[in-house]
Amino acid sequence: MGAADKSIPIKGERKMVPLYCNQCVCGPDLFKVEVRDGVALRMTPNHDLEGIHPAGGRVCVKAYGLVQKTYNPNRITTPLKRTNPKKGKEHDPGFVPISWDEALDIVAGKLKDIQARGLRDEEGYPRLAATFGGGGTPTRYMGTFPAFLSAWGVMDQGYGSGQGAKCFHSEHLYGEFWHRAFTVVVDSLNCDYVINFGSNHEASGGVSGVWRQADARVRGLKRVQVEPHLSVTGALSGEWVPIKPKTDAAFLYALIHRIVLERNWQEVCDVQFLKETTNSPYLVGPHGYFMRDNASGKPLIWDSADGKAKPYDDMIGDAAMEGAYTVSGYEQGPDDERWVHTDAQVRPSFELMREHLREYTPEWAAGVCDVPVETIRRVADEFVAHAKIGATIEIDGKILPHRPVGVMLGKGVNNGWGGYQAMWGRTMLACLVGALEVPGGTMGTKVRLNRPADNRLKSAKHGEDGFMAYPFNSTRKDEWQSKPHIRNAYKMLVPLAANSPWSAALGPAHLPWLFQHKAPKPWPRQTLPEMWICYRTNPAISSWNAPEVAKRIAEFPFTLAFGYTQDESNWMADVILPEATDLESWQMSRIGGTGSAEQFWHHQGWALRQPAVKPAGDCMDMSDIATELARRTGLLQKYNDAINRGAAAMALRGEGYDFSLDPQVAHDSKTIWNAVAKAASFETSGGTEVHDLDWFSEKGFMIRPFSQLEWYLYPRMKEEGLRFELPYQERIKRHGEQLGRRMHEGGMQWWDEQLKEYEPLPGYLAFPDIWENYATELGRDPKDFPLWALTARSMQYAWGANVGLPLIREVAQNVAGHDGVIINRATAKKLGIADGDPIVLESASGTTRGRATLREGIRPDTVLLIGQFDHWATPVAKDFGVGSLNSLTDLALSLTDATGSGADIMRVSVKKAAA
Amino acid sequence: MNLTQLDPKTGEPSAKRYGMIVDLNRCVGCQTCTIACKHTNDTPPGVQWRRVLDVEQGRYPDVERLFLVTGCQHCAEPSCVPVCPTGATRQRADGLVTMDYDLCIGCASCAVACPYQARTIVHEEKGYYEGRTTLQEESTRHADRFGVANKCTFCVERIDTAHAEGLVPGVDPEVTPACAVSCITQAIQFGDFADPQSHVSNLARDNRSFQMHAELGNDPQIKYLYEVPQSTPGRAPDAGDVDDERLSDESNPLVGKRQTFWDYRAAMNFVLGGMASGLMVAAWLAHAAGLLAPQALRLVLVAAGAVMAVGLFFVFLKIGRKARFLYVLLRPHSSWMTRETWCVALIYPALGASLLWPAAAPLALVALGAAGFLYCQARILHASKGIPAWRAPLVPAMLGASGLYEGLGLLAVLGLFEATRVVSVAALAPAGLLLGVLNLVLWRRYLTTAKARGIGPLARRDLAAVTPWLHGLGHAVPLLLYALCLSGAAAAPLLAALAGLATAAGGALWKFVLITRACHQQGFALPMVPQRGSGKRAAPERYALG
Repeated sequence: MGAADKSIPIKGERKMVPLYCNQCVCGPDLFKVEVRDGVALRMTPNHDLEGIHPAGGRVCVKAYGLVQKTYNPNRITTPLKRTNPKKGKEHDPGFVPISWDEALDIVAGKLKDIQARGLRDEEGYPRLAATFGGGGTPTRYMGTFPAFLSAWGVMDQGYGSGQGAKCFHSEHLYGEFWHRAFTVVVDSLNCDYVINFGSNHEASGGVSGVWRQADARVRGLKRVQVEPHLSVTGALSGEWVPIKPKTDAAFLYALIHRIVLERNWQEVCDVQFLKETTNSPYLVGPHGYFMRDNASGKPLIWDSADGKAKPYDDMIGDAAMEGAYTVSGYEQGPDDERWVHTDAQVRPSFELMREHLREYTPEWAAGVCDVPVETIRRVADEFVAHAKIGATIEIDGKILPHRPVGVMLGKGVNNGWGGYQAMWGRTMLACLVGALEVPGGTMGTKVRLNRPADNRLKSAKHGEDGFMAYPFNSTRKDEWQSKPHIRNAYKMLVPLAANSPWSAALGPAHLPWLFQHKAPKPWPRQTLPEMWICYRTNPAISSWNAPEVAKRIAEFPFTLAFGYTQDESNWMADVILPEATDLESWQMSRIGGTGSAEQFWHHQGWALRQPAVKPAGDCMDMSDIATELARRTGLLQKYNDAINRGAAAMALRGEGYDFSLDPQVAHDSKTIWNAVAKAASFETSGGTEVHDLDWFSEKGFMIRPFSQLEWYLYPRMKEEGLRFELPYQERIKRHGEQLGRRMHEGGMQWWDEQLKEYEPLPGYLAFPDIWENYATELGRDPKDFPLWALTARSMQYAWGANVGLPLIREVAQNVAGHDGVIINRATAKKLGIADGDPIVLESASGTTRGRATLREGIRPDTVLLIGQFDHWATPVAKDFGVGSLNSLTDLALSLTDATGSGADIMRVSVKKAAA
Repeated sequence: MNLTQLDPKTGEPSAKRYGMIVDLNRCVGCQTCTIACKHTNDTPPGVQWRRVLDVEQGRYPDVERLFLVTGCQHCAEPSCVPVCPTGATRQRADGLVTMDYDLCIGCASCAVACPYQARTIVHEEKGYYEGRTTLQEESTRHADRFGVANKCTFCVERIDTAHAEGLVPGVDPEVTPACAVSCITQAIQFGDFADPQSHVSNLARDNRSFQMHAELGNDPQIKYLYEVPQSTPGRAPDAGDVDDERLSDESNPLVGKRQTFWDYRAAMNFVLGGMASGLMVAAWLAHAAGLLAPQALRLVLVAAGAVMAVGLFFVFLKIGRKARFLYVLLRPHSSWMTRETWCVALIYPALGASLLWPAAAPLALVALGAAGFLYCQARILHASKGIPAWRAPLVPAMLGASGLYEGLGLLAVLGLFEATRVVSVAALAPAGLLLGVLNLVLWRRYLTTAKARGIGPLARRDLAAVTPWLHGLGHAVPLLLYALCLSGAAAAPLLAALAGLATAAGGALWKFVLITRACHQQGFALPMVPQRGSGKRAAPERYALG
């Protein structure tokens, strides 16, 4: 075998350099890169983490693209300046290389000009706007840039791209609201049965999710995958149920109907959980608000043992879940309205829920969902049979309930219309069998809207009525934000979006693109941001109606893009700054604890990303770029203060330690991260060890134990005497009514459809009709668009900004759909389309082209376009010719739900194209 | 299943038998193993030693989808090893089937002998970005791997450092193949099947598994687990999964595509070499029967030698490493290609000698070499186990019979010329009739048994398409003409010559079709699958775990 080795260069030093990968939201995960003679050659997992990292220290396919990414000959390696003042897809930008000095001076000059005139413009909108890629992943690559933004102050982060709206939107908002679950998963380590509505977990769950699901499958977990096409995840499930798109809530409602109306709910449900840990027994008055105790103002429960109503936190012998009772008290309506009742008829919310669900029979759902009725009944029966009501499990020395059943929801299911209903149905199913936030059940991963941000459990604090507090944006007359403070107006329109640093991205982040072109009336004039920063994102590709968004970007007067290669968004840039990428720059990141998907660790700590190789060309470390911008804009002290406060990573000064930086001096990247390394090691070791960057460069990471008890919210809820706010949504109802009044007081009727969503018990609407009828709005005939177009996650591409890597392209093509549009074979035959034929897809608002990939694992009324493509500027990717759903979807108020989200779905026609 | 601890080659006890377990219940088709392999082994664009197929079976609404890990199976009885004419491919005592790039001539015998599509040959060095080589590509280039056969090595360099470092392959990640240690579902496990306590042995013992194409006898050392009794029991494929319609679907990744290793140049050797060697044998037999004068025989043999040389030159053009072509002589104890070349090495010196030395012996040696050559050719194709249409049991007889039939025909053609006149053309006719009928019968039998012999519908379609032409040109026309010859017509020499031309054309036709059209690879098979999918294929209902 010696022959194989002869041409491998063996001269020079060989190093295995540890780094982290956080290309997707499921990271960071860790790997090593082999470097020889200063050249990165190959990637390997970081086996030092075997037994520590939930996936044995391994990384997914995407990480292996990073070496090619580093040496991509299409990289931008010097700052570029636009020479063509005309912007648009059809105008060659005429970029010319310039020096860093010139580039930074141009940018700093613009910023100083803004500073001089005020950070908000005459309409009150921030003059500076910034858009970053999805899920917070860019922050793991932008070094100390967040500290610069913090030093800067007001800006508009409400322009969506990957980040914002096009996400698990209802899950983010309602998940945090109901159980501190910005994202929701199933505890697969202890779960036996999962109903999964379209979550392509095997492609999107990160290495930890994929690893744990595989273990669970082999252990015996049965998963029923309910989705219109047979995804990678469906492939690995015991059963695939091909459901009609956007009818998932109907399926969920029928499951609940089966359990609480056809089965004996007292036998199959976790009655104790419902009575003690939910608002099921809360009595609801004639106006649909909780009946409250006149003295304490607390919601009442009927104690059947004593035959009287008592405040919810009183000693209750037997909380009534059924029946009607005559009770005195009052209801607290919207805007301080109060109805005082004497001997009014009230019913427990559980009873109202059963009443509410009476019409949603399995037979009804079978028709709506196009699924056999016996499947619905069987899945409900299997679900309750696996719930093991009463079972317990010992976790780190503590006995907890064990409810090994869960429900997962995919992105297309829980964003846009129908998302609220699906979320309610899924969370309610968990409540029925006591499987919320307990081992084996449905649980949250992290918080983004509640505080503290780094401790989900501690964010569960006492609020009103026995529920967790939630930082709603107020809709009360005196407190409501009556004018948009940023262009997506989340404080105005979406009470649930709260007001954390993440809220801008979780507002209706596609509306600024829409309103820039066509604002509803009345609405304050939407000005353009004077400067827009675009980092690790490509909204001209990744947005709904991406071609339209590209036009809006072209209207921006000044765009600063941090560029890796030419792409469709930075095509419109005025200045492009090339950053040192994944393998070329310094940064430290928290690892472990609990995080997106199934990042449930038994450890937590810190990991390092470091320059394994020299940056290409003149590419600069993002932290150094941030420092330079701070210096040139006179913000250096504020910037350093922000770093010292922890704006880039963690506080550099705290109890027992001080590694803070001199705020007057510009520090280089390594110096800054060296200080972070010391603070991080101090924190991780509990103050016993301090390590510098050299230590981390060698070791790669530092960890300490993290108890599995920290995974589950239920124990905390019990300790604090809190209840989950389900099934009845009194607060949602109140906010809806108040918001409606506010909007109408301002003469705004255009949010009325959204306002209807604020129901205390969400009703099923014919959600598919919304998209079917949309063509009419554009003057087209819905019959011309007979098929559903959907998208699905590509593990190989998602979030990676790696479409320019032919290596990724090569391996991705082994997975069906990466080379064309997936279409049901019988449907294709009817349309005269053969495998590989060029096809054109048209919606009422756009078109896209691709090649037909004929498959059986998709409903005949559905086509699937994986990932997000249709590039026209990005080298390599612009030659794919695979089409994109984003060219077919539209930006429209009628397609936007009350949380401010659209959905990845459209009605389309498919025709064979001329070759 | 061969779990013996004996080295299959030497019979000596071997301490190791490395292999893999692939769990179909775990693999999610993510391509991490594929790309990790590409990193570790620096394979060029398009080459995937570890490839994972995205398989779909059934018809909506009764469908299933699964991911199938493929690659070199490091067979206990590897069909690629004996066919290698140079010894570049060998099997080690620990079971690893290895490649020595410096010995390989790029003849692709191994590639067509492999029933698992494990081998690739890249002739031209190209990078991922057209015209621009990256720093990584420059630093990881392997000039020695172009024009030669490549395949998965089980990351042999890692395994070979295990002993020195006191590590155990399959246990310690540093000395375990990259695909296994990068797999994010633990679907790929590597280890020593000879060690009953190894993880892979335990998995194989405690679970139900299959070997792919077990019926071919290679005893592949990848075992596929297909059942999780608690969750998804295994089941045999439905009839619809393996029917002709399904196996005719070229978008089905299980279906073998046409091999491209041997193209028209390889076919030229079978066509020209076959008819030339047949001619040599037929001429010598005619001479022995007193139908051909010694001098005429010499001339016929020279003509045949020229034809054969053209065929051999085409093969020379085909091999990846032309300068090394003499290495082809290195494996006479197992390779029919080596033996064919040794026959060539006998034929031409003997032919030369026959021109200088007017004795019977050199002529007989030429004929002997030609008979050997023809037999070797027949065995070469038959040994190509990766191509069902080639490995069929009748193929050697068909090539042999056709060679003689064509040789006889060409003898009749040459009989038209004074210098190579055959004493009585009519005397050739019975042999022509006999061989014609034999060829006809063999072809019919080949076609009717094709399906049973595992020749897929795509290849069968190609064979069926050529059949009317072959029957007409190669069988009916010569038989008719030979029959007319027997009737004593004055035009018998011309008729026989025409029959001979038709015979040669027929032979060329079917060999070209067989080698360049009906040459579909074995493809992949799933004798068992996990029971999961929609409708009738879904896992059974379940109301409790276990």
